[in-house]
Amino acid sequence: MDIGLLGQYLANGVMLGTMYALVAVGFTLFFGVLDVIKFSHGDVLMLGSFTGFTVYIGVLAMGIENPWLMIAVILIVSITTTAAVGALIARYLVLPLKSAPPLNILLITLMLGTAIREAVRLFYPDGSNPKNFPALLPTASVDLGGFALRADSVILVGAGIAVIIGLNLLINRTRLGLAIRAVAQDEETAKIMGINYTLIVLVTFAIGSGAAAFAGIMNGLYYNEVNFGMGLLLGLIGFSAAIIGGLGNIYGAILGGFLFAGLQTVGAVALPFASAYKDVFAFGVVIALMAWKPTGLIAERSSDRV
Amino acid sequence: MTDKTTPKSGWLGLPPLAVGLGAVAATAVYGWLFLLAESEIAVLGLVALAALGGWALGRTGLPDTLDAAMRGHGRSMNGAILLGLLAVIFLLGEEHFPLLMLTTMLLYMTVALGLNVQFGLTGMVNFAGAAFFGMGAYTAAVLTAHSAVPPLLILVAGGVIAAAIGFLLIVPVVRTAGHYSAVVTIAFGVLFKTFLEVNDVLGGPQGLMVGPMKLFGWDFNSSPVLLGVEMSFYVNYALLGGGLAVLAFVLTQRLERSWLGLTLDSVRLDETASACFGLNVVRAKVLAFTFGNVLAGVAGALYGMMISFIAPNSFTFADSLLMVSIVLLGGLGSLWGTALAAAIVVLLPEKLQILQEYRFLLFSGLVILMLLFRPQGLLPRKVRSYFPSWRPQQ
Amino acid sequence: MSDALLEFEGLGKSFGGVRALDGLDMRVKRGEILGLIGPNGSGKTTSFNVVTGIYSPSQGRVRFDGQDITGLSARKVYEAGIARTFQRSRLCLPLSIFDNIMIGNHARLDNGLWFNLIRRGALRRQVEEGYDKARELVAGFSRELAGRMFEPVGALPMIERRRIEICRALVSGPKLLLLDEPSAGMTHDETAQLMDDILAVRDRMDDLSIIIIEHEMGVIERLTDHCVVLSYGRKISEGSYAQIAADPEVQSAYLGVD
Repeated sequence: MDIGLLGQYLANGVMLGTMYALVAVGFTLFFGVLDVIKFSHGDVLMLGSFTGFTVYIGVLAMGIENPWLMIAVILIVSITTTAAVGALIARYLVLPLKSAPPLNILLITLMLGTAIREAVRLFYPDGSNPKNFPALLPTASVDLGGFALRADSVILVGAGIAVIIGLNLLINRTRLGLAIRAVAQDEETAKIMGINYTLIVLVTFAIGSGAAAFAGIMNGLYYNEVNFGMGLLLGLIGFSAAIIGGLGNIYGAILGGFLFAGLQTVGAVALPFASAYKDVFAFGVVIALMAWKPTGLIAERSSDRV
Repeated sequence: MTDKTTPKSGWLGLPPLAVGLGAVAATAVYGWLFLLAESEIAVLGLVALAALGGWALGRTGLPDTLDAAMRGHGRSMNGAILLGLLAVIFLLGEEHFPLLMLTTMLLYMTVALGLNVQFGLTGMVNFAGAAFFGMGAYTAAVLTAHSAVPPLLILVAGGVIAAAIGFLLIVPVVRTAGHYSAVVTIAFGVLFKTFLEVNDVLGGPQGLMVGPMKLFGWDFNSSPVLLGVEMSFYVNYALLGGGLAVLAFVLTQRLERSWLGLTLDSVRLDETASACFGLNVVRAKVLAFTFGNVLAGVAGALYGMMISFIAPNSFTFADSLLMVSIVLLGGLGSLWGTALAAAIVVLLPEKLQILQEYRFLLFSGLVILMLLFRPQGLLPRKVRSYFPSWRPQQ
Repeated sequence: MSDALLEFEGLGKSFGGVRALDGLDMRVKRGEILGLIGPNGSGKTTSFNVVTGIYSPSQGRVRFDGQDITGLSARKVYEAGIARTFQRSRLCLPLSIFDNIMIGNHARLDNGLWFNLIRRGALRRQVEEGYDKARELVAGFSRELAGRMFEPVGALPMIERRRIEICRALVSGPKLLLLDEPSAGMTHDETAQLMDDILAVRDRMDDLSIIIIEHEMGVIERLTDHCVVLSYGRKISEGSYAQIAADPEVQSAYLGVD
């Protein structure tokens, strides 16, 4: 294999890894604060990219043509809307079931994900067909020994990694992050310390969903396409990544995201005759990993007190 | 050992057996009318009738009397239910489409009963139900096309293949719990469908033809003649599917009403305590998982033969979710609930074409409401009993 | 065979860096009631969990009835004849009294697929036998409760749940019963009643040994033949209740004075 192709795979893998990590971080944040799996996360992401697409049409109609301005408006509207949706889901579907068996929340959010997916397919104008997301970023490229490194890829990865670092700083270095970690550590104590528990939970869900919207826009800009079904696979991958990394651990989620992208890339490189099998391969490895390390590579703290 | 909990008279002062038989007859007639109803208005009317009637009768104590009838007169009631099912099949004898729907419902019910053993009793949710169903169907496709295996054995083979592939998942599913085990089955369900789509040997996205069922030289795709009337060939499948569903129901019910059922319940409710009392948690999980997968595989094989053409799109993750919805809507661990929910989930969108397009949206919304407001399901499970007619004197 | 039914030899268990049990030596004689006491976090429940196979020990040995049971699975330990209750009641709340007790009777029940699905007549006889046995056990605690065998335990008050938990542990006829803070969550009167019950059980089954973890010193004084006091995973004192109560080291462990 020549260097150029290898470079292409590598660039693609890093791009995917960044997106997966952004999704996985959401899963891990929700699990951290509430010990729940919000499986609608992938479909919330899809909602974010559709919101972005709608905003694009809107700003185009308003006559704004500067691509940077467009991207800024798209990001702001999409992230805030999606964050609000995430908080609403937490408020009306997740928190009410907090004392029910934990699987019920997984189920209710799975069903919600289906509902969102179906609602977009049925009610968004021509929702069952893929939409052409605009290529707003500069597509100039640098030739690096047989493979073209495109500017948009660099910008997307850079922005994605910046968001991940920002999230990490937010969780580890700010008062808000401290409150989130306190709630994750021990709900009762956090309440006694005067932390507004419900508010923190809602904010956490908003942050995670906002990150998903960002990943959704990234996905749209990279592939120049959004479709109603994209969330299912991305959600599942993000979930797998979070689980591989060990739920509730933000570094684990990032590690898991890049690991999954690596698996897919290796799958595509190792099975060039059947690159269609790359997802089969990646999920097969996830299942095998679960058999080997049932609670992820960085083990979740055991909570079954006897 | 008299049965003091069975009252002499029940609903409206009638003896429980009479009420029970009446209810079975009414349900059979309703089912027949519903399956035959053509216009949307008629279907909507019947749905409204069932919803209102079910609600009103539920408030007048009918369920208790039915319960008493089932406990006190189990044999007569079971016989009546079987007769009712046969009657509906023969009354629909010439109608292709209603029979196809009925059989599909019976096969989905078989799968959902298996999922209920996994999820409702043992607490292992399986989000790959449609995948195991699909394995049965693909087994049938391959074996009918490339071998001379007798079709009845092919049904068994569908179950065996589903069990065998299930064994590949056993380690991760048994070693993990809750959401971890859920991700394994979700990943597997998605993997399975993707695999089918990219695999040319199994027909890729276009799918495969499946040969018909044959029993003792009788080809199920030929129309039986009864009393001089030529019936739909689906009568064959409806009878066999009915037999399969009844068998699955009886086995599942016996499983639930046994020491094994107690073991499964105990494993679901408290794994650690179960192990402290000598329960073999791993065996229980393997048993429940395999039991459910076998039912799905057998049902899938027959389904494939019946529709004679299968493609990956019939076995998606959304279909798996629909199967889990059946279990949840009916009520975890409730077998009659599963039967009722299978009827609602399968028949309603088929009869109301307007709903067909919206069915995933509709049922996911319904399950959300159910989980929020009535988590025990439409027909909640009763406290365990082993032999319903047996209540020792205390 | 020695007169010790259960023996710990240098038993240790660490979680991460924390030593929950630190070289514990202890013996339980046949037929005695041993009180295991100590401040919170001194390793009492951990020792139960190590014995019953929920945790495997980091070091040391456990011998039971002449057999080395160190590190055996929970299932094997139960089969060897040790049954327990839990600090926070771990009954299956939606299941009936009868079902909960039958979970404890598991070893005597036929769990074969063929037996359960096909041989319904034989199963029925086993259910009836199990019922008689469970009812007799429950009636030993409360006649009234024995009349409610098919009610879910979730509907019962705490003291009745404790009784059912003890029945569930006793139904298999264990040689050793581990009671983890049976008085937790009960009123003073209820605790007194439960003590009577435990003494009555001991009178009925005279070769049963019991280890009881308890914070209520009244319970320890009344029930136990011998006491072991733990602090930071070590044994700091043992003897009769009167002896340990007078031991200054025990007092300082509880009061935190040096």
